[in-house]
Amino acid sequence: MITIPYLTAVSTYFSYGLLFAFGQLRDYSRRIFDWWSTNNLHGYAPICLAHEDFYIRRLYHRIQDCFGRPISSAPDAWVDVVERFSNDNNKTLKRTTKSTRCLNLGSYNYLGFGSYDEYCTPLVIDSLKKFSPSTCSSRVDAGTTSVHAELEECVAKYVGKPAAIVTGMGYATNSAIIPVLIGKGGLIISDSLNHTSIVNGARGSGATIRVFQHNTPAHLERVLKEQIAEGQPRTHRPWKKIMVVVEGIYSMEGEICQLPEIVSICKKYKAYVYLDEAHSIGAIGKTGRGVCELLGVDTADVDIMMGTFTKSFGSCGGYIAGSKDLIQYLKYQCPAHLYATSISTPSAQQIISAVKVILGEDGSNRGAQKLARIRENSNFFRAELQKMGFEVLGDNDSPVMPIMLYNPAKIPAFSRECLRENVAVVVVGFPATPLLLARARICISASHSREDLIKALQVISKAGDLTGIKYFPAAPKKQEEVKDTIKLD
Amino acid sequence: MYVRALPTTDVNRNTEWFTYPGVWTTYIIILFFSWLLVLSVFHCSPGMAWTIVHLAHFTVTYHSFHWKKGTPFGDDQGIYNRLTWWEQIDNGKQLTRNRKFLTVVPIVLYLIASHTTDYQHPMLFLNTLAVFVMVVAKFPHMHKVRIFGINGDQ
Repeated sequence: MITIPYLTAVSTYFSYGLLFAFGQLRDYSRRIFDWWSTNNLHGYAPICLAHEDFYIRRLYHRIQDCFGRPISSAPDAWVDVVERFSNDNNKTLKRTTKSTRCLNLGSYNYLGFGSYDEYCTPLVIDSLKKFSPSTCSSRVDAGTTSVHAELEECVAKYVGKPAAIVTGMGYATNSAIIPVLIGKGGLIISDSLNHTSIVNGARGSGATIRVFQHNTPAHLERVLKEQIAEGQPRTHRPWKKIMVVVEGIYSMEGEICQLPEIVSICKKYKAYVYLDEAHSIGAIGKTGRGVCELLGVDTADVDIMMGTFTKSFGSCGGYIAGSKDLIQYLKYQCPAHLYATSISTPSAQQIISAVKVILGEDGSNRGAQKLARIRENSNFFRAELQKMGFEVLGDNDSPVMPIMLYNPAKIPAFSRECLRENVAVVVVGFPATPLLLARARICISASHSREDLIKALQVISKAGDLTGIKYFPAAPKKQEEVKDTIKLD
Repeated sequence: MYVRALPTTDVNRNTEWFTYPGVWTTYIIILFFSWLLVLSVFHCSPGMAWTIVHLAHFTVTYHSFHWKKGTPFGDDQGIYNRLTWWEQIDNGKQLTRNRKFLTVVPIVLYLIASHTTDYQHPMLFLNTLAVFVMVVAKFPHMHKVRIFGINGDQ
């Protein structure tokens, strides 16, 4: 539940209206100007439709220097950000050879595996020498090594399911697996704030898609009842399959899914549950097993558990864990398994080693320390930000904390001011977030020390004062932790 | 002072911003301030200024609501490319609160403009034409209708 000051809402709409109007004026003058000049591209079809890239050209390019900043070191707690300059008002950006060492608050480096690790990296280098960087073939051809088999067993055991299948890319895991699981005649009910990969997979499957209000189990129940009563769109026959897709932690809100209620509703109406744990696997829960462990949901109740290794394990790729029959079926049918290149072997080794560290099987307690540290860091940072008067979203224990900015001009102002003080933050605007609700998203890592966090707080407070985003009075007001029934520990 | 922004179920990012609080107020404030602007720039009578505001409002809203089709970004893979903004709002459901508000605004503007110009002739004709086109374009029966193929697809 986001609370906006009314004046801020009105001024944000007005700012976007102004930006839109100026963009249209520039487009018109460009069209008139181009009508006068000759062009020698007769007979060629346009690359994109006239106004499909309006947002990119007229709004995104103006503040392009805040997005996609290249880095020149591993994304650890501190990172080298390459400096760029522009001669034509941000239309093109040129890299210089200099880079600044900045505090990294933007990488999803939840457990600190993003750079050299004393246990994982030597094993990965050995694996790189023994196997090669890439298997250069799909899993069914020549792309399955012993490491792949070990990885799938390791992931299945870690997540708590009988079997797992691993693909080389996290996005492709969702968009290639959902069409295999459900097709025409089926119903997908997805949370309104689900990630684009899920939306693409759902659209590609051919099933009917319905959306329920974000994280509201009551609305999910209403949608389910309505849809089951109505049946398929024109024939009103019963649905062949109903699947409810939710995420563990929503990356733009930092909120944790209300899994126990959703699972009980799905059991009542006999719908399948697909849980996307991209951000929550490895980051929350006592042993890092994700949102099921945190909220006390039995993994046998969640039918399909999906996750990615990019966030907490410092690698790449995604997995699907489920029953043995499901995984066997996917191995026969899923295009990501049959035709796409398998996950590179050193990356697979990194995942196996990271899981061993988390579970303490490497002989030290670094895993437990990391998990405790990320929980402490997140709670400390969130509490301090809220005391300063920022509007911070997300639940307690979630390492993702978006700070609300709202006005479009504050997006580049906040980002550039923080960069000037050597803190690298990620800002997100429309269309990744709703129009009004632009935010700066902070991702806390276990490799941030207490001094790093205090420096970050000072810089963010200063930038926040300059841009005027302390929308709440600076008092310890706990607004966003009021989730009624779930006890998060 | 503070309002709660409830999450919507509208997946179309092009129209979802219209469901958040504060849009109606912003719209009315923009109209009022543009009237003040026209008055101060052109030094005309208040009625003339309202007529100018009404006609400018007609041009701008007709172009952006009923002429331009699709969305200004490419992420949705072009599924709304045949629909104007008016046809995209509220997922195509007719007679919602937003649609009713947007139909009432040009009518109120018309009444103000014709009253303050004392129903005199050239302005009255132009205003009436504008409001007629605006209101007919917003009828539920005109959903996805292209008269004589104007603004139809290639």
